[in-house]
Amino acid sequence: MRHTFNIDGKTHALWLSRSSEGYRLELAGGWSVPVALVEKRKGEARLIVDGRSEPVVYVVDGDLVHVHLGGQSYAVRYIDPLAALSGVDGAAGHNVARAPMPGVVLSVRVSVGERVAAGTVVAIIESMKLETAIRASQDGIVEKIHVREGESFDRDTALVTLSQEGS
Amino acid sequence: MTGLSFPFRVVLVANRGEIAVRIIRTLQKLGLQSAVVYHEVDARSPAVALADHAIEISGRTPVSSYLDGDQIIAAALSVAAGAIHPGYGFLSENAAFARVVEAAGLVFIGPSADVIELMGDKIRARNFVAHNGFPVAPSAVEEDDPATFLDRARAVGVPLVVKPSAGGGGKGMRIVRDLAELDDAVVQARGEGQRYFGDGRLYAERFVERPRHIEVQILGDSLGNVVHLFERECSVQRRFQKIIEETPSPALSPDVRKKICETAAGIARAAGYRNAGTVEFIYGRGEFYFLEMNTRLQVEHPVTEMTTGLDLVAEQLAVAAGHPLAFGQDDVRSNGHAIETRLYAEAPERNFAPTTGKVLALEYPQGDGVRVDSGIGQGQVITTAFDPILAKIVVHGATRTEAIARACSAIDNLMLLGCETNAAFLRRILGDDGFKAGEVHTGYLDEHPDIALGAAPDENVERRLLALAALLTRPVRDAAHAVPALHASLGSWRN
Repeated sequence: MRHTFNIDGKTHALWLSRSSEGYRLELAGGWSVPVALVEKRKGEARLIVDGRSEPVVYVVDGDLVHVHLGGQSYAVRYIDPLAALSGVDGAAGHNVARAPMPGVVLSVRVSVGERVAAGTVVAIIESMKLETAIRASQDGIVEKIHVREGESFDRDTALVTLSQEGS
Repeated sequence: MTGLSFPFRVVLVANRGEIAVRIIRTLQKLGLQSAVVYHEVDARSPAVALADHAIEISGRTPVSSYLDGDQIIAAALSVAAGAIHPGYGFLSENAAFARVVEAAGLVFIGPSADVIELMGDKIRARNFVAHNGFPVAPSAVEEDDPATFLDRARAVGVPLVVKPSAGGGGKGMRIVRDLAELDDAVVQARGEGQRYFGDGRLYAERFVERPRHIEVQILGDSLGNVVHLFERECSVQRRFQKIIEETPSPALSPDVRKKICETAAGIARAAGYRNAGTVEFIYGRGEFYFLEMNTRLQVEHPVTEMTTGLDLVAEQLAVAAGHPLAFGQDDVRSNGHAIETRLYAEAPERNFAPTTGKVLALEYPQGDGVRVDSGIGQGQVITTAFDPILAKIVVHGATRTEAIARACSAIDNLMLLGCETNAAFLRRILGDDGFKAGEVHTGYLDEHPDIALGAAPDENVERRLLALAALLTRPVRDAAHAVPALHASLGSWRN
């Protein structure tokens, strides 16, 4: 089964299967190696990828895996296929305007059922003491507004979901 | 320092985060009781856990609670505090607050309200410094005599910067390198001043190319004694926000260093300065000019503590208690080199956008010559309600090279999961050739945007991250187990 993850805004597909040694990971492009995780204590383990072993520290928080690897911290997000299908995430037929950074909603400029063209301002947010307009990336109909005026949100929060006509 | 008597037994810290923790630690060391005010979003912060008394305050926004002088004074009185330490930011440079604190019969740990007021008015402060014979950048203010403005601007000489008087943030600024361009620059700057500020009045000032930010730590007592505790260089900045500070400055020769430190002490003496303060200068090509004086403890004070061995908060408390300084200028020595890096909740890779999250795992570097001043703890939620500073990683070494190496390894040994930080950016600056050569000026990071952007994680790192995430994500593991393993299907006929 194909799974999707996101690192730093970049989407990656992968397949995980069982093998005689444990697990095998395959990435898009056909790169396929044995992988294993040997847990030392909760949140600390040795990660073995293709025979190379390295200490990692991690915390799983919902869809996010926070990782400390090689002296740096990263966050890897699992894209839940069910959530994607239900329109919470960017699946076919849906388009979600997300917060590029944490902030506060100053105003919502559209209402549910409204037809919008690509480039239409759907909401105004304030972040870093600056006002930013959030625009529809394509034509569609406003399906859901996820935030209220005055509400604060984290980065990547869904603000407005659009559905494409005919889907 | 121990054995000093204090006219107060409880000190209220009117601040939050790392500086509240840092002040409380010294209060404990001196045997004084500590109290801290907090907004509910900080209820789980280390400062609240550490203080003897914690008093909740409220307001329209979290920041406005920490700016509410009346609530803070009431909180202080409720725990019988005899003094208030304002820390930095918030009410620390608010003369009106200093006055009401004293009117309530409490000691304000800082300079007199009059001095806060003088130094808080940038034009008055500049005139005060110039009238006392200390260097300010040569300048011409249009308002003084509009008819002669252009002549006076020419007399300042090039390079020259023309700015709207009402301005800020670099808007409407024009740099003139040839006097033939002055007339055009004046027309443009005036137009932009009108547009941005509705005010076309201008002033012209000598422009310092590749300016460096040098500041001098001052300490004065109530008897008129003033000493300097040497300089700090804070040229690693982005949009006027300091990121890395160090002492001594790699830019100064021993002669200039002596001159700039004595100038700062002279300015403080002329102002009758009491308590800890910092005189900031712009420095370039061997010349320095007064920029402003900060009448409070600075964020970056730990580097001075590392090299002088002094505890600046303890000195502030002693001075506020009316004691004379326990040492003279000749007793102050600076040993080795210290560097502070500021850990911020922000993403330099995305134009320094603020980041939020919850501290899920936290481990700070330890060891000789490493000091961490932190305001966050496990489980704490990081929001955009306050300044993004999370902690300061401060190191000391015998030489600058050793201090840089120690700072690098300190950042490598720092682990914070749950909220993105600027740690990788700090590491890139510390490893930058220009920084290592001591050649950074305040525009350096703007000139080298690659340092903020960094590189995308390489393919090998990405693969390892994906492997780990796949193994830790339940639906992915479940899907793998739903399909019989290869050896299971092969096994039946192999045996």
